[in-house]
Amino acid sequence: MRLMIAEDSTLLREGLVRLLVEEGNMVLGAFGDADLLLEEMAVRRPDIVVLDIRMPPTHTDEGLRAALEIRERWPEVGVLVLSQHIERNYAAQLLASSAERVGYLLKDRVAQVEEFLDALERVHAGGAAIDPEVVRQLVIRTTHSDPLTRLTPRERTVLEALAQGHTNTAIAQKLHISLSAVEKNLNTIFDKLELSHTIGYSRRILAVLRYLES
Amino acid sequence: MFGLLYFLVVGTALGPLLLWPFTRTRARGGLMAGARRLTTLERTRRSVFFGDRFPGHYEVSDQKILRYLAVRILTGLVCGVVIALLIFGLVLVGLLVRGILQGGPRWHNVLGQMVLGGVLLFLDLQGLYSLARLDARIAHECFGPSERELLRRRIDELATSRFAVVQAVDAERRRIERDLHDGIQQRLVALGMLLGRARRGRDPEQADALLGQAHQESQDILAELREVTWRVYPSALDSLGLQEALGGVSERCDIPVRMEFDVRGPLPQSVETAAYFVVSESVTNASKHSRATAVSVRVELHGRVLAVQVQDNGNGGANPSGSGLSGLRSRVAALDGVLHVDSPAGGPTTITAELPCA
Repeated sequence: MRLMIAEDSTLLREGLVRLLVEEGNMVLGAFGDADLLLEEMAVRRPDIVVLDIRMPPTHTDEGLRAALEIRERWPEVGVLVLSQHIERNYAAQLLASSAERVGYLLKDRVAQVEEFLDALERVHAGGAAIDPEVVRQLVIRTTHSDPLTRLTPRERTVLEALAQGHTNTAIAQKLHISLSAVEKNLNTIFDKLELSHTIGYSRRILAVLRYLES
Repeated sequence: MFGLLYFLVVGTALGPLLLWPFTRTRARGGLMAGARRLTTLERTRRSVFFGDRFPGHYEVSDQKILRYLAVRILTGLVCGVVIALLIFGLVLVGLLVRGILQGGPRWHNVLGQMVLGGVLLFLDLQGLYSLARLDARIAHECFGPSERELLRRRIDELATSRFAVVQAVDAERRRIERDLHDGIQQRLVALGMLLGRARRGRDPEQADALLGQAHQESQDILAELREVTWRVYPSALDSLGLQEALGGVSERCDIPVRMEFDVRGPLPQSVETAAYFVVSESVTNASKHSRATAVSVRVELHGRVLAVQVQDNGNGGANPSGSGLSGLRSRVAALDGVLHVDSPAGGPTTITAELPCA
């Protein structure tokens, strides 16, 4: 895939470029701030953009605003946002329009190289990649108790896979269980989290987030 | 007397005009202008004869001036009466002495007169003394900060410095957060990536090179972590004292630092900490922004005040209201100290802090 990167830490930017190139991807450009990235985007389009949320000049939400702009102007481009901390507000803003070709990962996730590359693949395939930690924290904040304590270990892994944007089939493959077992697990999870079960994984993530926002 | 005359004459002349709305403002303006001139005269009198010092640009309201003049007229009249009594007493004494010389009155008569005269003289002098005191007090009430004004100012000052301290603490925390986030955390993520890449490496040679890089990176992270924790709080300050901690500052600085430390005996901890940060912040600024090639630091104890001076030979132009220096100023102000920044364009920059060791 063809990528662009916006990340203000030189060390990390270089690391990302190297990693992506080693994996056989093409990096069209790597920039230290969002403005340069947007300028370049006007000239040529990558398949995916990876952005850090906190970038100069104010080190607050430059990356997020650029990501929202890209989603609006070039919806065919996948956007993967790296966040310092879990901000439910940011995640919700990013997923507000649609849960396609979008990812919201904790920055530390990049160090888990496999997971990061996997998330990129999912965004590239038109899906969503939400950091499992994000969903978990959002649920905790809403229910004031860790919902995962009410889930069996199996259900927990299923939820994590679901939150990351995997399809039922992918979850079944990933966990080496049957598709019907996945569906059964999901029904129990939605019951325990008081969610109505909707079909289509992007809408499922949206449903999770929407519920958590309320 | 003048005041009374002024109000009698001008008041009579302008009084009727004050009753008409059209002429009121102008009449009042004229009245006040004269009153202000009178008070200026009074102020000069206090300064010249009594050596009072009043703040130069002290704004006095009209109401205050009129009240002052009214009180001053009253005290002036009373003062006149008291002085007249004194003169009258002196005349009586003269008459008495003349009577004695002519061999007139009896001795017990003279004694009675003397006792009575003495008591009256005492009362009269006491009256004069009180009037002088009153005069000084009303002058201070009108022309300069009164006791209450001074207290109010002190409270304002404390409120401001307290607010500034809270802000400085927040700024400090923001800086620490930035240090950890921009430095340590990014580096750790990069380290994780190096290791991840090494594990995915197709050929062992490349994996080995990546591991070597990761190892180096971990060393660098440790060094940076040490730096960051030291910037948060230099632990040497508690264990080894100010002089040692300052020695650490000059060791870590890129440009040569000449240190003169002349303090005998212990200092309060808050003063030590403030002095440390004044020096370390100023030295850091000098080496980072001023293109200086040398810095000299002097720390001396003058009586109960610790004087800290940091001077560099750089190109000046330090901004006293920048975040670093204003943070220092708040830190110093919280201890009732003062911080001076003298940094003309072209240099040199001198930063002086005076810290009272209460």
